[in-house]
Amino acid sequence: MRLKHLSLTNFRNYFRLELGLPPHITLLQGGNAQGKTNLLEAIYYLSAATSPHAEADRQLINWGAWEEDLPFARLTTDIDGGSLRRLEITLLPSPQGSLRKEIRINGVKRRVADLLGRLKVVIFLPDDVGLIAGSPSPRRRYLNALISQVDRAYPRALQEYERVLLQRNYLLRRLREGGDLSQLEFWDERLVERGSQIIAARLRAVSGLNALAQEIHLHLTGGEEDLRLFYRSSLPLEEGARSPYQLPLDMLHHPASQMLQPQLPAEEIANLFHQRLRERRRQEIERGVTLVGPHRDDLRFFIGGMDLTIYGSRGQQRTCALSLKLAQVELVRAETGEEPILLLDDVMSELDPARREYLLASIEGQEQVIITATELAPFPSDFLKGAALFRIVEGRIEPFSLPN
Amino acid sequence: MRVLAKPVARLVEELSRLPGIGPKTASRLTFYLLRAPKEQAQALSQAIGELQEKIVTCEICYNITEASPCPICRNEERDRSLLCVVEEPLDVIAIERTGYKGLYHVLGGVISPMEGIGPENLKIAQLLRRLESEPVKEVILATNPSLEGESTAMYIRRLLSSSPVKVTRIAHGLPVGGDLEYADQVTLTRALEGRREM
Repeated sequence: MRLKHLSLTNFRNYFRLELGLPPHITLLQGGNAQGKTNLLEAIYYLSAATSPHAEADRQLINWGAWEEDLPFARLTTDIDGGSLRRLEITLLPSPQGSLRKEIRINGVKRRVADLLGRLKVVIFLPDDVGLIAGSPSPRRRYLNALISQVDRAYPRALQEYERVLLQRNYLLRRLREGGDLSQLEFWDERLVERGSQIIAARLRAVSGLNALAQEIHLHLTGGEEDLRLFYRSSLPLEEGARSPYQLPLDMLHHPASQMLQPQLPAEEIANLFHQRLRERRRQEIERGVTLVGPHRDDLRFFIGGMDLTIYGSRGQQRTCALSLKLAQVELVRAETGEEPILLLDDVMSELDPARREYLLASIEGQEQVIITATELAPFPSDFLKGAALFRIVEGRIEPFSLPN
Repeated sequence: MRVLAKPVARLVEELSRLPGIGPKTASRLTFYLLRAPKEQAQALSQAIGELQEKIVTCEICYNITEASPCPICRNEERDRSLLCVVEEPLDVIAIERTGYKGLYHVLGGVISPMEGIGPENLKIAQLLRRLESEPVKEVILATNPSLEGESTAMYIRRLLSSSPVKVTRIAHGLPVGGDLEYADQVTLTRALEGRREM
């Protein structure tokens, strides 16, 4: 799929933008703070109804629009290929201080859950390295966003899980003061039902990503690094697999070949989940919070048994992030049969020449790639000849061509 | 600086507290009433004043009524072996439209730990007492198919598991006149689970 046209009203620094987008490679060049990232963010927002950055939604509406009676921002795109023809999101401030999102798919009003997975997008960000190096919650967010694009049932399961979790945590806090423990039964049942569905989907996705990322990473490192992805769960999944495999407490002493991720069906996960909830019940009531479930799980990356999040060098982490994103492109294509749109936000400057070359080679044949850059220097001239070039200045976008 | 006269500002503020009414609608309603015939404004204020004064809760089913017990509970024609448990008085009106002839029990909400509503805040103990004294043979749990509604239904079902009363739950599934193609996955799954022989 590809975007034919994008129009923005009051989104970030764009008061009004009408932009026709060509197929294949589009390169947007501009200085800092001219609106390069905001443009890619807008496209990502049309796919996920949330920003790729974890910050307040309110800032998405242009500051100038807040002076008006009815401040709003609108994002619209026309799409080529498939049944999805037009997406529109209108952001309106709600009395609670957050933003209300009005979503229209092909002109029909829909919910957020209906939007997710329609427009397939993979975004490469300069701070992707933080995904590998940072805390678990961005990695869970990442997995959730990724799976939502390939599994239509996932966002709904996640949404319900989060609601159950919230209710259950309140109930645990009430039960700390005493009360009928049997009230937990219903919420446990739902937590397990949705939670095991989520974990099963994540195991499946991680297994797919693992195989793809491993191969890409071998190429990127000249055959030197054997990358493995591992879904580290708060449930003892390896017990359910009934294999001699043990959760490696100290990965340093385990050869990478032993890092087998158990693949379990949802029913098996549900049994383990119930069992773990029973074991932790007293502790959960004491602390008033749910201690097991996908909201406590993590995705980890290993090279030769070394945990990259803890021990990886900055360079290793950056390469790993690139492998992960390129694997995601392959996964979306394999799972959905559709070409995802690639958004590359100023990532070239972070990479050394060999990785740049690999990245450019992998995006060459894609249906649509939108790249931002401050400088054209990192791009080979052949590449630039094949790309549509635009210049961004203060929220205005003009095409330009290279002097011969 | 106050732009609006005090009584106007006050009505705008009161109206915008109502569900579904924002500051804009509230101002429009206020200015409409300002220019409306005096009788109309008075009739409205009287209706609002009487609302809480003249309405009581039925001592049997906890529906809202002008006189307790409510007309449904007093009606000898109704089927006293059937008891439909609902969340709110509005649900009674909805089910009445179907021609249902049994009695009701209004819980006054659903279990929602988040909002601090536990079983003790609902008319659940009163329901159990009713079942002891009334000739009810079947309890129909008609709470909403939301998480909280399901949780409440399941809680009551468990309380009644040792009682001889038959407990049923309203069916979930496709809306009449709906289209399979447009139904979401959860609804369709429920509809398949609740299929019946024909």
